[in-house]
Amino acid sequence: MAHPLAGHFSVDHSARLMRNYRYAVERAMRALGGWIALTPELSAKLLMGRHVWDLAQQADAFGRRLPELRAHTQVSEPASERVVAFMDAVEEPAAPGQTVERLVGVYRVLKPHLLSSYHDHLVRANPVYEPPTRRLLLRCIDDERRHIAAGETVLGHLCAPALAERVLAWQRRLEALVEAAGGVTGEGLPPAPPDTAQTPIETSDDAREFVRLERPVASWPMPEDLREALDSFGESLRARNLAAVAHWLAAGVSPDPARDALTGATLTSQRLVAFARLGHQRLVKWRLEGPDAAVTVLARWAPGPDGWRVALLDVGRIEVLRPALPRH
Amino acid sequence: MERPIAYDKLAREDRWIRMRAREVAELKVAQGFPPFADLSTPDSIRERVHGILVGEMQAMEGAGRTVCDFPDVPWEFTMDMARQVWDESRHVEIYLRLLEHLGGYPGEFPETTILWRCACAEDAAARVAGVNRGLEGLACDVFNQLVHIARKIGDPILERAVEFVLADEITHVRMGSKWLTKLTEGDPERRRKAIEFQETIDERFNLGGVRREGDHEAVSISIATDVRRMAGFTEEEIERLVRTTQRSQVY
Repeated sequence: MAHPLAGHFSVDHSARLMRNYRYAVERAMRALGGWIALTPELSAKLLMGRHVWDLAQQADAFGRRLPELRAHTQVSEPASERVVAFMDAVEEPAAPGQTVERLVGVYRVLKPHLLSSYHDHLVRANPVYEPPTRRLLLRCIDDERRHIAAGETVLGHLCAPALAERVLAWQRRLEALVEAAGGVTGEGLPPAPPDTAQTPIETSDDAREFVRLERPVASWPMPEDLREALDSFGESLRARNLAAVAHWLAAGVSPDPARDALTGATLTSQRLVAFARLGHQRLVKWRLEGPDAAVTVLARWAPGPDGWRVALLDVGRIEVLRPALPRH
Repeated sequence: MERPIAYDKLAREDRWIRMRAREVAELKVAQGFPPFADLSTPDSIRERVHGILVGEMQAMEGAGRTVCDFPDVPWEFTMDMARQVWDESRHVEIYLRLLEHLGGYPGEFPETTILWRCACAEDAAARVAGVNRGLEGLACDVFNQLVHIARKIGDPILERAVEFVLADEITHVRMGSKWLTKLTEGDPERRRKAIEFQETIDERFNLGGVRREGDHEAVSISIATDVRRMAGFTEEEIERLVRTTQRSQVY
């Protein structure tokens, strides 16, 4: 049996590990903070918003531990350029259509790796003279287990089967990078920690609620005559039947935006995606999709003597549908 | 990652419809509605709550960008901004649930992005002056009034939840005051520009005379002088704000 005062880490070594962890955690914190605005899905925004503060506290705790280990306070240090390259890659997906890549990078690659690293450090840190480090690691382990579980919940919600292959490729690429770096400490990948009982989930941090709150309303509340008008208008757009579209336009409203956007596009489906109130008027958005293009049409509907009519017609966005693959 | 990002990079699900604030106000006035939801009916309370939800979302996004955009500021500043991201993310959840409580849904009203634009200032000192003091100051006014109205109409859910959010906003204003001072120490020009930026935001959010000093039930947005004092605004600042609201008559 090892002597109770036998130790694996020197003070300097321990300080370096704190700086290495702090580097990864600080970068993850800044990336999550920056991504909130770049991420369309509410559940993912809330997930990131919750975890930025946890990561800031982790980075702060690592930074405060440093002067206790004869090192400068609040310093981050990558173990090598390969760690920098790994974190650069984690941070890379910034397009609106790359939410799953962002989440996979942090919640399926980085955080599980950090969890393993903290656990491996914990079991090797001396319980007699390293309790400050051990307590810090225990707190981070608890955070990471909770974060990973929450991330998986949101990923399960956002990762459609059609994205599975793309997402797996991204995950494999990041895993290769972290392996090549020898992990965030540069000392090699630690073994995965043993599976423990499920961490209790706090009500205020329950990712299942983030997913529930994101779900759209079952049906838009609207008068029946407007519903009929919208059904007809949406179908006319999809069929590119401009005469039928024109029937719904108020006097003086030009069909040109619709003509310009729809001409030449093959559209196979239409769905109403947004329905907002503006006084007595309604703002309505459709998404029309085909094999090569997606078009967003926005119309402001106003009630009048002839029933509901479009008072303003605009094309919000024209997209060429391509899988948003991360760069390699 | 790009730092900072352009205004139009703000990502939204399809269910949101974005419009300019001025256009929303003009279209409402043309239909005989007040330009800004006035809390006089359940519909207008729901519209106000929806507007706050959107504001909280943009505040979360803005604070997140501040964490990301300024890696070289003092670490304690980043800590305060990270804390704010957490607060705002809880506020978003609170207002989503309040909207549900009031029978509304996200996207029920158009989204305007004035708040987000203010959160995109390139200087960190200008951001905290504009967002934490200008916009969070406005939040103090709006939430204080909403607590009062909720109490009056007998809605303890709304009252209690908003009261806690208000407490957080007071903390955010204090953070703003602290960091405006610290970040501009020894640089009066930077401080002057940051304060100027805050004043343009205050002016803009007077909403053409909608925000005024007065009773909660008599004005659309009542300036919360006591709460503002608690948050650390000076008497001079409060008086200046009241004066500017008296001359802001054009939306």
